[in-house]
Amino acid sequence: MSRRVADALSRPVRWPAFLGALVVIALLPMVLGTPYWRGILVVCAMNVLLAMSLNLVIGYTGQLSLGQSGFFAIGAYVTTVLLKSYGWNFWLAGVAAVLAAGLVGLLLAAFAARLRGHYLGIASLGFAVIVYQILINWESVTKGVRGIYGIMPPPPIRLPGLPEISFGNQATLFYLVAGIALCVYVILDNLVRSPIGETLRAIREDEISAASLGVNGARWKAFSFGVSAAIAGLAGCFYPGFVGTLVPDAFGIVESFTMLAMVIVGGMGTMIGPVIGAVVLTFLPEVLRGFGDFRLIVYGLALTLVVLFMPGGILQAWQILTARLRGTEASESTGGGR
Amino acid sequence: MSDFLALILQQSINGIYLGCLYVLVALGLTLIYGVMNQINFAHADFVTVGAFAAFFSATRLFTKWMGMSDGTGYVLSIFMALAAGALLGLLVNAAVFAPLRNRSDELRPLIATIGVSVLLENAQLILFGPIPFQFDSPFAQNTIRFGKIFFSEQSVLVVIVAALAIGGLYSFMKFTFLGKALRAVSQDRETAGLMGINENFLIALTIVIASALAGMAGALLGPVIVLTPFAGASVIVKAFAIVIIGGFGNMEGTIIAGILVGIIEAFTVQYLGSGVIDLVVFVLLLFMLVVKPTGLIAERREENV
Repeated sequence: MSRRVADALSRPVRWPAFLGALVVIALLPMVLGTPYWRGILVVCAMNVLLAMSLNLVIGYTGQLSLGQSGFFAIGAYVTTVLLKSYGWNFWLAGVAAVLAAGLVGLLLAAFAARLRGHYLGIASLGFAVIVYQILINWESVTKGVRGIYGIMPPPPIRLPGLPEISFGNQATLFYLVAGIALCVYVILDNLVRSPIGETLRAIREDEISAASLGVNGARWKAFSFGVSAAIAGLAGCFYPGFVGTLVPDAFGIVESFTMLAMVIVGGMGTMIGPVIGAVVLTFLPEVLRGFGDFRLIVYGLALTLVVLFMPGGILQAWQILTARLRGTEASESTGGGR
Repeated sequence: MSDFLALILQQSINGIYLGCLYVLVALGLTLIYGVMNQINFAHADFVTVGAFAAFFSATRLFTKWMGMSDGTGYVLSIFMALAAGALLGLLVNAAVFAPLRNRSDELRPLIATIGVSVLLENAQLILFGPIPFQFDSPFAQNTIRFGKIFFSEQSVLVVIVAALAIGGLYSFMKFTFLGKALRAVSQDRETAGLMGINENFLIALTIVIASALAGMAGALLGPVIVLTPFAGASVIVKAFAIVIIGGFGNMEGTIIAGILVGIIEAFTVQYLGSGVIDLVVFVLLLFMLVVKPTGLIAERREENV
């Protein structure tokens, strides 16, 4: 298993796309110059991480998980508690939080080995509810519903010979989180194009047939859940420092649904789809501010309409549209249309 | 009767009362799942809509404007909530479930119902505002006493209404032709269609029944929960747990599991405090899934390769 992972990670990176994305990330805080919009950008980068993490489980492995908010919460709380109560260094606490989320992900995978479809969906939803309830009830550690206040952003990085990089402002924090999201994207992109990706897709299409070909379903599902949970935990590390406070309500099951919506709206089972979904659903409520109080109604309506009229998500709709304009049939490159 | 025994009996009665409310919500979910293989995440909001419909008809329409007594007003408001739920179910079926039904896909209808849920919650937020409404049932104040055991007239009303609804639904499913057709559709939609059963009509009927039950549950839950546009969410996670514990699509299992969860909740409040109810219920759910993934009453399932 470890050899296959190492092999998958050593695949060539798609440099032109990578450099293009780097330029876009570099320019975004300049285009959206106000602190408010830069804050939205940071949220967007975290949402991209979360949507990508969920997509690995749902889109590529075909396992319905509604527990992603739980891993996000573990990332955020482990980082903050180690930082505030035990005086750990932020980066060290972050690594511990990612590992903790990943380990709990493996635990949830034990359920995925036995359950499928909606049963797994509700079991993972149950996991998210349990995490939320623990955050509320374990007051000595999490401070319960009162929450943890005054959380500082990540400490500045001092490299010899370079000016100090401080994360006190939204732009540098965005560069940090977006840079990490880009790295995660490259790693996942390599992973899903490798034989491991083939294995996961085989489980998605038909687990029993895959098993008959020698695929150990339970093991690769555990891999998928573990990696996915670790990435969600990674997104969680940066959340408390960005918001400054940490309350359990930020990790309700609604968050899991929002992440799922990002994956489906963008186009699950593709790499770029969930990124599109995360960007669209993060900015949509902001763009709809003109509707005032009605904006969330329009948001709900938009969500329903996208699902009704774009079954393969925005990505597939775009591909069909461009193919029609060119007068050819739509390509079948988007996977995940089960 | 010893104090301990009285306490056990008292909490069991409280549990059955709560359980009846949960069963009404969970039955709708399980009916829709049985017939369509779909989870309806907007079900919580059907409950909220029912609660608001009952609130306004009980405190305004029937009592203030039509001059009925508080008691009659509340009982009639249960029917208003039922009608509101049914109407909403009809609309949501036409808009969401009917167009998505024939794609064999479990995720997209789920997201569509999440969209409906966001829409309904925020529409109610604009109409009613975020401040909780005080929905007092005229029957909640009067208590009936048997020795050391107390219960309110409201809980008697809830148990009677729930028993009538559940009994009515059960005999409809078991003894009428439509009910038989419904069960046929839930067993095998295609074959049922080939036998000349109008599945579109039956699926619409299922959703209307499920939504009507949710609306009615809203009227009965209104005085128990904090009535805001987001009230349904507090009940729905438990309803999901009940549906799973009872076995998805299984009516008998859902009824038993609902009462069971109500009783567990009552004893959790007594011995562990009200803060940990969801924790206990969901740990039980996960344990249940490990031990018996098919639910309390096993359904027959074949694996098609």
